[in-house]
Amino acid sequence: MPSTGKFFLLFCMLLNFVAISPLSAFQANQNLTVSGTVMDGSNEETLPGASIIIKGSTIGTVSDIDGKFSLNVPNPETVLIVSFIGYISKEITVGNQNEITVNLVSNAAELDEVVVIGYGTVKKRDLTGSVERINADAFQNQTMTQLTDMLTGTVAGFNANQSTSAAGGSSLEVRGPTSLNAGTEPLIVLDGVIYKGSIQDINPHDIESMDILKDASSAAVFGSKAASGVILITTKKGKSGKPTINYSTRMGISEPASARRPLGPDDYIQFRKDFFRTVFPNTAYHFYTNPNELPTDVSVEDWRNYGDNPLADNNREYMSRLRLFPIEQENFLSGTTTDWYDVVMRRGTRQTHDLSIGGGADGFNYYWSIGYTDNEGIRVGDEFSSIRSKLNIDFDVTDWLSVGLNTQFSDRDESGVPASMGFYSNSPFGREFDENGNLERLPHGHTFHPLIDNYRTSKLRKVNSLFSILYAKVALPLGITYSISFQPRYETMKDLRFISTDIRFGGSPTEDLSQGTRSEYSHYEWMVDNLLKWNKQIGIHSIDATLLYNSEETKRWSSDNSNINFFPTEELGYHALQFGNNPALSDYDYRFTGDAMMARVNYTLMEKYLLTASIRRDGYSAFGLQNPRATFPALAFAWQIGDEEFFDSELINRMKLRLSWGVNGNRDIGMYASLARLGSNLWYDGTKQRVGVYNSSLSNAGLRWERTESINLGLDVGILEDRIDMSFDYYDMTTTDLLMNRILPSITGFNDVTSNLGELGNHGFETTINTVNYSDKNLTWRSSLVFSLNRNKIKNLFGDIGEYTLLGQTQTGEVPDYSNQWFPGQAIDVVWDYEMLGVWQENEADEAAVYGMRVGDFKAEDVDKNGVFNELVDKQFIGYERPRYRFGFKNDFTFLTHFTASVFIRADLGHIGAYSPALNAGFESNDRRSRNVGPVPYWTPENPINDYARLDVSTSGYGGGLMVYKSRSFVRIQDLSLAYALPSHLAQRLKLNNLRVFGSVRNLATFTKWPHWDPESGASPMPRIFTTGISLSL
Amino acid sequence: MFFSCTEEWLEPDPLSFLAPENVYVNEAGFEAILVTLRKNLQYESTGNRHPLSMEHATSELAIPLVQADFRRNTPSNSAFFPFLSYFENAYEFIKNANVLISRIDQVVWEDPQVRNRLLGEAYWHRAYWYYRLVHSYGDVPWIGVELSGAKLDFQTHSRWVILDKIQGDLELAAEWLPIEAATLGDVTKGAANHLLAKVSLANLDFDQAIAASTEVISGAYSLMNERFGIDAGNDSKNVLWDLHRFQNINNSQNTETIYSTIDRPDAPPGTWSSGTYTMRWYSPSWWKILDGTGNRACNWSTPIGDTLGIGNGDVRTNDYWHYKIWEDANNSWDETPDLRRSANNWIEMGDEIAEILNCRAGSPQLGQPLTKELYGSLVDTTDTWFPWPHYKTFVPTPNNRLPVGGQGDFYVFRLAETYLLRAEANFWKGNLGAAADDINRVRERANAPLVSPADVTIDYIFDERARELYTEEPRHTEMVRASYIMAKSNLYSYTLDGFSEKNWYHDRVMRLNFHYQEPRFQWFGNTAAIDPYHVLWPIPQSVITANTLGTINQNIGYDGTENNIPPLETINETI
Repeated sequence: MPSTGKFFLLFCMLLNFVAISPLSAFQANQNLTVSGTVMDGSNEETLPGASIIIKGSTIGTVSDIDGKFSLNVPNPETVLIVSFIGYISKEITVGNQNEITVNLVSNAAELDEVVVIGYGTVKKRDLTGSVERINADAFQNQTMTQLTDMLTGTVAGFNANQSTSAAGGSSLEVRGPTSLNAGTEPLIVLDGVIYKGSIQDINPHDIESMDILKDASSAAVFGSKAASGVILITTKKGKSGKPTINYSTRMGISEPASARRPLGPDDYIQFRKDFFRTVFPNTAYHFYTNPNELPTDVSVEDWRNYGDNPLADNNREYMSRLRLFPIEQENFLSGTTTDWYDVVMRRGTRQTHDLSIGGGADGFNYYWSIGYTDNEGIRVGDEFSSIRSKLNIDFDVTDWLSVGLNTQFSDRDESGVPASMGFYSNSPFGREFDENGNLERLPHGHTFHPLIDNYRTSKLRKVNSLFSILYAKVALPLGITYSISFQPRYETMKDLRFISTDIRFGGSPTEDLSQGTRSEYSHYEWMVDNLLKWNKQIGIHSIDATLLYNSEETKRWSSDNSNINFFPTEELGYHALQFGNNPALSDYDYRFTGDAMMARVNYTLMEKYLLTASIRRDGYSAFGLQNPRATFPALAFAWQIGDEEFFDSELINRMKLRLSWGVNGNRDIGMYASLARLGSNLWYDGTKQRVGVYNSSLSNAGLRWERTESINLGLDVGILEDRIDMSFDYYDMTTTDLLMNRILPSITGFNDVTSNLGELGNHGFETTINTVNYSDKNLTWRSSLVFSLNRNKIKNLFGDIGEYTLLGQTQTGEVPDYSNQWFPGQAIDVVWDYEMLGVWQENEADEAAVYGMRVGDFKAEDVDKNGVFNELVDKQFIGYERPRYRFGFKNDFTFLTHFTASVFIRADLGHIGAYSPALNAGFESNDRRSRNVGPVPYWTPENPINDYARLDVSTSGYGGGLMVYKSRSFVRIQDLSLAYALPSHLAQRLKLNNLRVFGSVRNLATFTKWPHWDPESGASPMPRIFTTGISLSL
Repeated sequence: MFFSCTEEWLEPDPLSFLAPENVYVNEAGFEAILVTLRKNLQYESTGNRHPLSMEHATSELAIPLVQADFRRNTPSNSAFFPFLSYFENAYEFIKNANVLISRIDQVVWEDPQVRNRLLGEAYWHRAYWYYRLVHSYGDVPWIGVELSGAKLDFQTHSRWVILDKIQGDLELAAEWLPIEAATLGDVTKGAANHLLAKVSLANLDFDQAIAASTEVISGAYSLMNERFGIDAGNDSKNVLWDLHRFQNINNSQNTETIYSTIDRPDAPPGTWSSGTYTMRWYSPSWWKILDGTGNRACNWSTPIGDTLGIGNGDVRTNDYWHYKIWEDANNSWDETPDLRRSANNWIEMGDEIAEILNCRAGSPQLGQPLTKELYGSLVDTTDTWFPWPHYKTFVPTPNNRLPVGGQGDFYVFRLAETYLLRAEANFWKGNLGAAADDINRVRERANAPLVSPADVTIDYIFDERARELYTEEPRHTEMVRASYIMAKSNLYSYTLDGFSEKNWYHDRVMRLNFHYQEPRFQWFGNTAAIDPYHVLWPIPQSVITANTLGTINQNIGYDGTENNIPPLETINETI
């Protein structure tokens, strides 16, 4: 991939040189008049204020409000240079045209864009930190259930893996893990205020843009929780003018991107034979052979005599030797089989509909939307639907007062009960339904039906939330503004379930108890922000100051009720839990509080030297015993080198150097982690119920904030009039006072204690390169390449110095935490395990026996060759679990004016993952209940492979246990889309502003050696999603 | 609300849980710890492959069916039975006792008797778990106080110093605890003396063991010789059946119970244990036997299943327990008058047919006994076919459709064992007559032929313990206790130094448990094997590894002993 990237860059530059034509001579006559229109090539809107200059002179004009211009030129050979900020300049030879339409293409940098930073905005060119912008427009042709669908692999330094469920979502991490135990999810800031709700409740189609604050100085204004980065989300607002109505609909299907089928009938029978031959080595080999397939030297009579008491029928005898259950025997004889993959996995449908109205008048604008999403996952029973609505209203009441409301409501339905992924333990000779059409509880006579929970559980799970921002902004004298906002958020959840014993659904009144549960909570939190801002331009000095005071409170009340064994009927289900005979209840409430103060100054000198300084002080009740508050400072500096007079380059038109430093905090631990808690249990003394207590956690009154200090060095470069826009960032982050659950020897009676200890380092490099590779009337081709790598290192742990053994050597220094596999000097994700050499083959039986193993067991490297696998001696550092390199490569094409296409390729490279199915775990008996490892190859004497062990593999010779690792590197064509916009004159004929049709595929193809479901999700199936849609506006 | 910048604003506000500061302030608070400790005792005899079932599966009477190869049992690996987790759980319970012991004098007690009762019971619980630890694992770390921060420098103590310590604690407990429980579940003087007898025996203080057991025997307890309790009116039953009904264990007529767990299926659900599982671990999977059509002849979900249970054969007993142990010069196993092997107390599975009848509607063999013949070449009846003492295992399971053995009181100490402990102490002192007298008290009640002093051996005593205390005693622990006594006294050429290479436990298992004899039993990839060092179980590697600043010794024979250092011979209480 790196070499491809280089090649690509050269290619782009070459194209760009070709596009600039050589200079032509200037001629003096001015006797022609040319008029024309300057337009934005991508959306056919006119561009007012564009400059049109005759090449080689200072003569020129500016386009008017309608984008029109008129200019006298000397002769037809005259070349006009048409330019506009943010667009690539264009040269046009007049020729014999007197009416010219100039389509300009926006450049790769978009410097005038206003970027959102904490508690304010700034032009992209004035940024001092490392901020990445995502425009939601770029994803309008794709399917999006959550905003995270825009973040998977597309932003350098933003690590997000796709979720596989119908509800969507993904993991989120900026740059690298800055904590060992506390949360590392970035902070979400929605329309300027901290948002603690679920990102599932934000409709991605309401989003205008997202800005990701990666470096400490940008994030430091959010101090307390900003150590893991910040995502600032800006939602759509109404624009002045008549109401605009937008409607879009997306329909699609999802299917498994890869098929991991269980053993088919023949493989299954072979597996049974191989298994029994492994676990009963003393039994005659052909005891398990089909009597019709015996070798010539074994007669059927011999075969029968292998058993003590053979059944009269040879086929029956054969099946009973393979220990097939009655159902299996019938199906084996009749050749009826079931592929459980097809029972569990499916092609699911998806639909999303969004409607919005936006508009405004003097002193008033509004935006209202409602969106409905209904997704079926690729597993039977995996379902998700939601209704999300957003209302943004802003009023300018007087010239000194404006007020507004920004509110969102969401109703999520998570009632699906997905099928079990353990279907690999079901026999292909089992059956889905019995002769009466009831779901077969035990499809082959043992092991539950993978859909049994889906059938017999009725479930209602609803989450409703309402989040509002109510604000007022007052203009005070001397250019000061004061604003106050109040942000309440309400959330309620209901999770009602009932498990029936109805035999139609695989229940069994004699074997099951009916069970009902009702879990509910209501949640209320609020936050208040008070902001003072002052903005002043004094000559060459520009100052922008911000002061904040904030406070917050969160409360939750939750209850769980349950009951079992319902009489006289189960008909009422979870609606009437009182009719069971063993009611139980449990309540849990919590409350926490926080506050914050912040001051920030942005200072700009001569528009070339930019300085940002900020300080924030945070308080949080989880640390309330001794250290409730902490202070987080930050400084950043940027220098527009490109604007200096000494900087003179034909190639490089812009260059900015950025340097920042800052400290951020992490408070993401349990709100009561500093307190010793008593656990409780209930006991009966023969007459009454009694409550018992026990110490369940150790207290740590001195618990305090985790602090991450980081520096960021950045360089932004524009080349060839910003046809190429490059950003490079190097960062180094050090986290101290790590909040850790320090593992204790379990004989203390505790598993761990929450402590502030140790030091963790992350450093890394990121680059984003945006290019306009080609542009002419019929084709525009843009690319964006992102690359990132992060390296982390545990610098210190607990400070326990002593002598210890690692990698076979006695060392002195800081003692590792073997239990968590944390080693000072190594990465968090380093894998410490035995180096696998293969499998003991037939000629190595004696060697294997030394270790108490058999031929076919895993063979690993015995570092000290002493005949014992001792973990402290023989385990080695064999790889890393997180990607070493991450690439994203997006190409956008606009062609034939009305078509756009996009392809996004993603690669995560260099890491390994644990592949536990390779251990063929699961005790096998004649009912094979716990063997659900899937189609994993295995060693047999006839098939002496070297990468997978025998069945019934023994790993007890490996001290500390053994795990098998496989490469998880992958390259995937993640997104592909195509759209067509109806030409505006045709759209207007339909009384529409515009109309677009589009289609897209997500996870089209993946290239990997990872043997499990998917290299990105690991052990769960990744969906491939096809979407088509239409969007129109009135 | 808008300007809340005060320190009070940031005070943590726990709403739904208790904290030490507001609970450990009075008798009710400390009593709540004792409630937890009493519930902790249920761990021994409830739930998945519980410790008492493991204690039998690792004895001469049985094998642990799915892990009969002890060599697969390593410091990092224990597949089914809790060889490793027992160690960790016992220390958790010890922690609970230590909290009470460390905090009791932070409260000023007006009545020292209240303090002494609370402290005495905590001592008793702590001694109970250490007694089990030093027999399952040998030398182990002593922790005797509440820990307040991270501690990672534990060291192994000699089992003998631990025995000294808990013997002293129990002497105090026996002095302080009440003769009669004020509330059911309170630990009594009798329970203290019974445990003291065991600990003294283990510590080779035979006089103390005799004195303590005599305190119990001459106290308020007596063996139950007459029918009583829930099934008293059922003439087909007998007194041993009555003795082992969970409803009878704390029946006021029952004078034999010294201490038991309390666990009732009709109590509020939050108080339940997961059940005794006696009908799961100790009995075969008789319900898997097939009829002539290949279907199950009588599944567990039929009415008979509620009585026989859904056996899983995990404690796979052998011919010694089924037959030989019941034979004497005059009687074969099926003729013995011993009620503990009487036909109505056991379910028989004969060579060809079983006592259980085919109950599947539509089966051609409906009403006929289950038979191996129709089982065809499914060969293996290992897990499906062996007799078992139903009178010990039957516990109804009303709160769970799977008849595994439901909630029920379970004996911890019963007077019959006190007699056998005193018999053993007398045996070690050479008083064979006194030993025979005590054994005969137990045999007499069971209607078994009496033993003469000349026939009393340590093997006989352990046979008698098996006959009387099957499912009740921690059998492996008791056998290891006797092994240590012989090793320390250098009897029968056993020594402490060579304990891991030769010991009475291993010799007895190899002598009586044919599964370990050649040709060794083989089942699903396990070839039964037990070596002398398996007398002690492995210390979990995770504990040794997490203890980064000290050394916890591994038992000889297992991987990882090269770092061992001599165990501590004294207890330093200020750890």
